[in-house]
Amino acid sequence: MAARRVVIVGGGTAGWMTAAALTKLLPGRCAVHLIESDAIGIVGVGEATLPHIRAFNEKLGIAEADFMAATRATFKLGIEFRDWGRIGDTYIHPFGTFGPGGGEVDFHQYWLRLKQQGMAVPDLDRFSMACTMARMNRFALPTSDPNQLRGSFGYAYQFDATLFGPYLRRIAEQMGAKRTEGRIVAVDRDGGSGNIEAVRLESGERIEGDLFVDCSGFVSLLLGKALAEPFQDWSKWLPADRAVAMPCRTEGAVSPFTGAIAMPAGWRWRIPLQHRTGNGYIYASAFTTDDDAAQALTEAVEGEPIASPRVLRFLAGRRARSWVHNCVGVGLASGFLEPLESTSIYLIQAAITALLELFPDGEISPIDRDEFNRLIDLEYDRIRDFLILHYHATERAGTPFWDYVRTMQIPDSLAEKLELFRRRGRVVKYREGVFLDASWIAVYLGQRVIPDGHDMRADAPAAESLIAGMRKLSTDIEGIAAGMEDHAAYLRRYCPMKEDA
Amino acid sequence: MTAAPIRDVAVAGGGLLGWSAAVALRRKLPALRVTVLPLAPPPDALIERIGSTLPSIVDFHGDIGLDNREALLRAGCSLRLATEFDGWNGEGSAYVHAYDRHGQPFGAASFHIHWVRQAKLGPAPAFDQHSIAAAMARAGRFVLPQPDPASPLAHFGFGLTLDPVRYAHMMRAYALHLGAVERAGALAGVRLRGADGFIEALALEDGSTLAADLFVDCTGPRALLRGALDQAFEDWCDWLPCDRLLFADTAPSPEPALLDRCIAHGAGWRWVSQGQTRTSHGLAFASADMGDDQAATMLHGVAGATPGEPVALRQGRRPEPWLRNCVALGDAATLVEPLEWTNLHLAHNAIDRLVAMMPDRDCSAVELWDYNRQCAAETDRVRDFLALHYVASARDEPFWHRARETPPPPSLAHTLRLFAERGRLPFYEEETFTRDSWLAVLLGQGRIPRHIDPLIDVVPPAESARAMAALRDSMARLVPTLPTHAQFLDTLQRQATR
Repeated sequence: MAARRVVIVGGGTAGWMTAAALTKLLPGRCAVHLIESDAIGIVGVGEATLPHIRAFNEKLGIAEADFMAATRATFKLGIEFRDWGRIGDTYIHPFGTFGPGGGEVDFHQYWLRLKQQGMAVPDLDRFSMACTMARMNRFALPTSDPNQLRGSFGYAYQFDATLFGPYLRRIAEQMGAKRTEGRIVAVDRDGGSGNIEAVRLESGERIEGDLFVDCSGFVSLLLGKALAEPFQDWSKWLPADRAVAMPCRTEGAVSPFTGAIAMPAGWRWRIPLQHRTGNGYIYASAFTTDDDAAQALTEAVEGEPIASPRVLRFLAGRRARSWVHNCVGVGLASGFLEPLESTSIYLIQAAITALLELFPDGEISPIDRDEFNRLIDLEYDRIRDFLILHYHATERAGTPFWDYVRTMQIPDSLAEKLELFRRRGRVVKYREGVFLDASWIAVYLGQRVIPDGHDMRADAPAAESLIAGMRKLSTDIEGIAAGMEDHAAYLRRYCPMKEDA
Repeated sequence: MTAAPIRDVAVAGGGLLGWSAAVALRRKLPALRVTVLPLAPPPDALIERIGSTLPSIVDFHGDIGLDNREALLRAGCSLRLATEFDGWNGEGSAYVHAYDRHGQPFGAASFHIHWVRQAKLGPAPAFDQHSIAAAMARAGRFVLPQPDPASPLAHFGFGLTLDPVRYAHMMRAYALHLGAVERAGALAGVRLRGADGFIEALALEDGSTLAADLFVDCTGPRALLRGALDQAFEDWCDWLPCDRLLFADTAPSPEPALLDRCIAHGAGWRWVSQGQTRTSHGLAFASADMGDDQAATMLHGVAGATPGEPVALRQGRRPEPWLRNCVALGDAATLVEPLEWTNLHLAHNAIDRLVAMMPDRDCSAVELWDYNRQCAAETDRVRDFLALHYVASARDEPFWHRARETPPPPSLAHTLRLFAERGRLPFYEEETFTRDSWLAVLLGQGRIPRHIDPLIDVVPPAESARAMAALRDSMARLVPTLPTHAQFLDTLQRQATR
C-alpha cells in the first residue's frame, strides 16, 4: 500500500511531537513533511506536564535522563495552589492517591467521618506521598507496586518547551521526516471534496499531501482559517484571555511542583526549571489592563527577571470538530484551555494517540474521523469542567473578577458533581478522563467545598483504630520522604543540564 | 425536610436476591436495621431460577465476607468458565466465550489485530483457540487463576453455577446471623405519604404495618413496591425479541460442566447448564414465531423432561430503578433474558451501588440521579452485548432475519461501525463485558474488520503466526495436566473435612 503523504504545518511542541510519533511508530505508512517558519515564534514559555507524558516518551524510546538534561527539566509531583479558596489558603493537587490506594472506601471518607465527629485530624495532604515529598522538596522514582507507599505517587516533568521541540526534531529527522522552512501564503483545496490538496509557501513552493496536520498554534491556519471550522467559545466560564510571561532566575529551592497562585484578575504560574523559573500571569482583559498585569507580575515574582514581560492573547474553547476533511488539528490549532492544570501537552498527546490509532488506510473514513472527534471532545469537555471548578469554588469576594467567577452560572455537568460532593464527599466516577478521583478530592477540599456527611461504610471501623492507623500512615509517609534525596541534588546526579547550555 | 441518616431498611422478597441484599446491607452498613419480608419469589423472577453466574459473583462473595469455598460446598455450587454458542451462525457453527484474556500481547498492536491479520491471509485457528479458559472449559479441567501475572493461568475469571434454592437458604442463614430480622407476613398494600409520595409503610395482611426509611424491592418483575410509585418502562423487545421462557430441570450429570451451552433454534435459543445438583434446561423463544406447545415439545425432546408452565418475559428496564425512598433490584428493575447470564450480575452491582451511595432519609435527587445514571449505563451496555448476538447472527429463519434487519440501538451501532472499520472497540462507562468478551462474540460470530491497526506493521505476519502457534501448543500441553472439575471439587471437600 502506498505511504500517505502527511504534511505537518507548524514546528512547535505540537508539530514535532506529531512528526516524531508518526515517523517512529508508523514507519512505512506515511512520509512526513513538516513546514515551519523561523519568522513565527513559538508560544512555549516553560511547560509543566502531566504523568501521561512518560508513556509518550517511552513509546518513542526516549531515555528519561537524556531528555531531562536536554530540556533542563525538573520533576513535578503536583501543583500547589495558593490563595484560591481564600487568600492565605494553600493546597497541593498531587499526582497520586490520598492514603493507601486500593481500599474499598476512599480514604478521604474515613478522614471526613473523624472530622465530622469533631476529632482533630491532620490535613488530608499529610496522607499523600506526593504532597509530603513536594512540601519537603524530596524526590525518588516511584516503585512499580501501587499498593506500597513508595509506589503510591506519579510524577511528570517541568521543562523548557522551546528545547523539547528541537529534541523531538532530531528523532523525527533521524526517522526520515523532511523539514521545510517557510511561511505559508495559500491553501489549495479540491473543489469537489473540500479536501486540502496542497499548501503554498512564500517562496512559491507548493507542497502536496494526503493528510494535513494543523500544528500552527492559535492562528489555526488550516482548521480555523482555510476550513473555517467554527470555534466554541467558553470564555463565559473561563474568562481569562491573556497571559504575560516573564522568566526569572531561580531563587531558593528548585521545587518538585508547579505553583498556581491566584491573582486579582486570574492566576500566575511558577514553573521551576533547572536553569530558571518560568513565571506568567494569566488574566481576564475585561478585569485588568496589560500594564497593570505586567506590573502585578513584576511585583510578585521572586527571582531577578531575565527578560521583559511578554503578552500573549487567547480564547478558551475548542473547534467544533478537530478533524475536518483531511485536516487534523493538534494542540492550540484545535483548542485552548489555560494551563491551570498543565493540560496543554496532554491534549496534544491525546490527539496524537487517537490519530495513530485511527490513521487512515486509503481513503479517510468518516467513521474514524467521527471517533477521533468524539474522543477529543470528551477530553476537552472534562478538563473544562475541572478548570471551572477552580474558579467557581472560592470564597474570595470584593474583587470584580472573583465575584464574577464565584457567582457565574456553571455547566450542569459540574453543578451536579459539586452537589454530590457537598452531600457525602462522593466523586462522580468516570473511568475515562485525565483527572481521576484523587484530583477532584484535592481541589474540592483544598477550595473549601466541605461535605456535610460521609459514606456510611466509613462508619464501620472503630474511631480509635482509624486514628491509630492514620497516625502510623502519616508517620510512615514522612519517614519515607525524609529518607529521600533533595530534589535539586537528585537532578544534579541524575540529569544535569550542560553547563554552557 | 431535615437530612437525617437512614436507619431502617425494609427488604421485600424472600428469594436469593432479597437475602443477598440484606446480607450486604448488614455487613457493610451495620448501623442500619434491616427487616426482610420474605415473600415467595414468583415464577417469573429469573434471578431465582437461573443458576449460571458471571465472575463478578466471586468478588461479591469476597465483599460480603463469604468464603467462596463455603458457597461451593454448602450451597451445592460448582464452577464455570465459559459458554459455548452453537448454531448462531448456522447449523454446525460454534464458538466459546470464556472470561479470559485471549492470546498474549506482542508488539505494539493488540492480540486480536494479529489474529485478524492472519484470518485475512487465510484460514486461521479460531479466536477462542487462544484462550486457556476456553480450552479448560472444553476439556473439563479447572484450577484457580494463578496470582503470578506471568503465569499462563493468570488472566481468566470464573463464575459459579448455583442451585438457586440452596443458595437462597444459605444467604438467609447468613443474613440472620448478621442481624437482619425476618418479618413473616403477606403484602396487602403499599401506603404512600401524602406530602411527597414516599412510601410510608407496607401494609401486611394480618393488619400490621412495616415502616422504614428506605424500601428495597426484590419482588420480581411485578415490582410490588416500586410499581406503586410509577410504571415507567423502557421496552427492548425490538432488539431482544424472545418474549417467553420454558424451564426444565433434570437429574445432575455425573460430572458438572465448566461450559454452558446456548444453542440457537429457529425462533430463539435454548440452554443447557450442568450443575452439581441439577442439569438445568431452558428455552427462550418469540411467541410470534413459535407456539407454547411447539416450544414445550422441543424442550422435552432435548431435555427428556416435561417443562413447567411458560413464563412471559418483557425485556427492558425501569428508567429510574430508584425513585423517592424505594429502590428496585433485580427483575424488579431490569428484565433480560439469561443469555450471557447477566441477571444476578446486574443485581449484585446494584446492591454494591446502593451500599456505596446510601443517601440521607430525604433521598435527594442528585444522589438518586447518580445511582440511576450508573445503573442505566451498565444495563444499556448489557442490552447491547446481548443484542450483538442477534445482530451478528447468520441463520435463515424469519425470526433471525427480523433480528438482523432491526436497526440496533445507537450505542451498539457505534460499536459495530468502529469494529467493522478497523477492529476498534469504543469505550463506554460501566461496561460489564471486557474487550476480550466483545471480541470473543464479534470474532466468534464471524465479524472481521475491514482494516487493521497500522501499529501492527512492525511485526511481520509470519512472526505472528509462529507466536500464535506456540501459544496454542503450550496450552495443549498444559491443559491435560490440570485437575478435572470433579477432582477440584473433591479436593475442596477433603480440605474442608480435614
